[in-house]
Amino acid sequence: MVDPGNQRQRTRPAWLNQYELVGKIGEGTYGLVYLARSKLPHHRGVRIAIKKFKQSKEGDGVSPTAIREIMLLRECVHENIVKLVDVHINYGDMSLYLAFDYAEHDLYEIIRHHREKLSSPINQYTVKSLLWQILNGLNYLHSNWIIHRDLKPSNILVMGEGEEQGVVKIGDFGLARVHQAPLKPLCDNGVVVTIWYRAPELLLGAKHYTSAVDMWAVGCIFAELLTLKPLFQGIEDKNGPNPFQADQLEKIFKTLGHPTPDRWPTLLNLPFWQANRNFIQGKKYENPGLYSIVQQPAKSPAFDLLSKMLEYDPAKRISAAQALDHHYFRTEPLPGRNALVPGSPGEKAVGYPNRPVDYSTDFDGSTAPPQSNSNLAPLQQQQMQRNEHMMQVPQMHQQLHMQGMQRIPQNSNMGNYGVGNQQGRRKEPDSGNQNYSGYQLPNKSRRM
Amino acid sequence: MADFSTSSHCHHWILQRQTLVDKLRASNQRAQEALKKYGATRVEVQADGSLAYPENAEVEAAARKGPTPEHLTVQEEVMIRKFYEGKIQQVCTAFLFPNKIQATAILYFKRFYLNWSVMEHDPKHIMLTCIYISCKVEEFHVSAEELGKGIQQDPQVVLKNELTVLQGLEFELIVYAPYRSLDGYAFDLENAVQGMGAVAVKNVQELREQAVFEVDIMMLTDVPLLFPPGQIAMAALRKANRENRKVDLERYMQGLLGRTGAKHTMSELESAMDAIEIAMNESVHVEEEGVRRIDRKLKICRNPQLQDETKKRERKGKQKQKKPQDAAPPTYPKPADSAINHGIEESDNFTTPQVHMLRWEGMLSLLMSVKEIGAKTVLAIQY
Repeated sequence: MVDPGNQRQRTRPAWLNQYELVGKIGEGTYGLVYLARSKLPHHRGVRIAIKKFKQSKEGDGVSPTAIREIMLLRECVHENIVKLVDVHINYGDMSLYLAFDYAEHDLYEIIRHHREKLSSPINQYTVKSLLWQILNGLNYLHSNWIIHRDLKPSNILVMGEGEEQGVVKIGDFGLARVHQAPLKPLCDNGVVVTIWYRAPELLLGAKHYTSAVDMWAVGCIFAELLTLKPLFQGIEDKNGPNPFQADQLEKIFKTLGHPTPDRWPTLLNLPFWQANRNFIQGKKYENPGLYSIVQQPAKSPAFDLLSKMLEYDPAKRISAAQALDHHYFRTEPLPGRNALVPGSPGEKAVGYPNRPVDYSTDFDGSTAPPQSNSNLAPLQQQQMQRNEHMMQVPQMHQQLHMQGMQRIPQNSNMGNYGVGNQQGRRKEPDSGNQNYSGYQLPNKSRRM
Repeated sequence: MADFSTSSHCHHWILQRQTLVDKLRASNQRAQEALKKYGATRVEVQADGSLAYPENAEVEAAARKGPTPEHLTVQEEVMIRKFYEGKIQQVCTAFLFPNKIQATAILYFKRFYLNWSVMEHDPKHIMLTCIYISCKVEEFHVSAEELGKGIQQDPQVVLKNELTVLQGLEFELIVYAPYRSLDGYAFDLENAVQGMGAVAVKNVQELREQAVFEVDIMMLTDVPLLFPPGQIAMAALRKANRENRKVDLERYMQGLLGRTGAKHTMSELESAMDAIEIAMNESVHVEEEGVRRIDRKLKICRNPQLQDETKKRERKGKQKQKKPQDAAPPTYPKPADSAINHGIEESDNFTTPQVHMLRWEGMLSLLMSVKEIGAKTVLAIQY
């Protein structure tokens, strides 16, 4: 009898032996994200997030997204930018694996934890430290002529327990671009930035845009850190290739008031401003209510900075470098490197839950044994392999578990429940959460 | 990325001359050993990432038919690489790609063959993959199908080596082209002479055009692996200016060094530029006949079974020549006979730009509509 284990071994790339798979932590259109532990002597036990990119569907080799992420992150070295540790190839299915330093948290989960579990705001020190570090990373990118183009809470990673605890890492560079000397106009890439965080110039169809689009997104994230709710929750119009996002604009106008050519002179040149004159220019929202939404005094430094980030005219919008210099960051509490320590000495640290892991998935993304015959041997073998991984799990939880609850995402892809339950993990219902991980891959609304 | 000094290009891909020599020798040596051991030099990457050499049976079959094929010398490899680097320029010109794409593709090709011998990976295929990846990286996306169509190649040939090339480049894909530095200097010079009248501005523009031509030549030498793009561009300007001396470059360079607070002195810069010109002059001259001979040798050591077929074909060819209808005037080659399909033997068709432009007519009309937007020029002084 052919030993299927051996056969399997041979088609598996040798580099897989560098890692011990823990499980799947994210999924998207171009692939999967895994959590693994390094087995290399000098990094033994270090946790790594491995993002697998499938071949692009159109028969055009490595996806442009993977190429962008690799080319930019190979060059970027900054404390607040996620670190690309290694790139691997699986020649078996012609896929690429990008290995990153693992970050236990992201702003999506941190905000959700406060909103749904704690029902209390994030402390001021944490908000300020997170924001400062986001801006610090962004300033590095912008001064290197890179626009991220897809900033949103789930792409802002925060390191868990360890030397870098509470340090922000900007992640997911799949849409980032160098704009120093574009060979084609930037708008050729199709619509970018998840709609809630999309800058008004993009919503109005601007052909040329700048790093200011990232600053708008940071403004939205800042407000969300303060209120625990997305600032402009528009309903996305998914008709056609680049539809006019009427609802999103209306949400913005309601809060910030109407933009006027006075304050934003180039407004008149924007395609959708002209084409949708009746809709956009018909209604008037006179009373901007931003400060009441974010519940900040209109004269506070926080509100001043926020309103400068949410400036309509991209030319007047505050830059990352200017924002870092804002007096908000020079007033108490001063921002710090570990954003997750308590705001004041007497306060208790918030224990954020660990990233949910699907333990049933193998490195190739399959949840079932690859052989189609009903031979039991490979199945048993796989189960044994998985149990090996599982052995690591309780240990990991002791280490990292501060007080939060372990969760398993409500995810239809979760197979093999038996294995998970054997480990005595509690399952916590978790409604309507599709966006469950900072390592989640881009959704379908993005076009390349 | 704007900062060359922190780039992977600066740190990993500008070599000492001795390192370059050693690397090229080492890969040539490895291919020679493969030839002794397996009877052929070609290498294929397998599903698990390991390398596959030809099977024993094939080797033995080849051995029965003839002597072990001859390997290429280091110098012959240089010739072959330079020939295909020239091809990259031709292909990119025919596709009307901006010269940044061409420069990136040539550098990919050079970097890839720092660690591999042309006997191991077919330069004809690698060259196409380098162009393809360069287009992706520079956000000037051309599908493998379009590229394949334009050069009458199966897109699979382009795609097959993509991961192998990415790996060979160590996934370091941002390349700083001397053309961009040149644009920066020209822009700066134009500003400087703005007050001196239209003739002065025109002189700078002419100098720039001439310097682009010099950079084109330098791209086909070791220079891009040995010097940073800023120095290469300046050396090209200096060389282009030597004959007519239309621009006071020395004064410009002095001012530039002062203004930018560069760590280099004028004499250091001068000696770097001298070294660039020496490397440029030392570069081998590629002539068609020599390359054709080496290319035949290359094919046979990659695939010894061809040895037989070549002989057969030669015999056939001789017979054919006797037939009267072969005296008919030559026609344009059919797609299957294109120069790239068969390498250099039929490459006569490739040398006249008109002919090969004709072949790409369809492609051209498609690309004409793609305009390069006016890029914001930023002075890039990259020492």
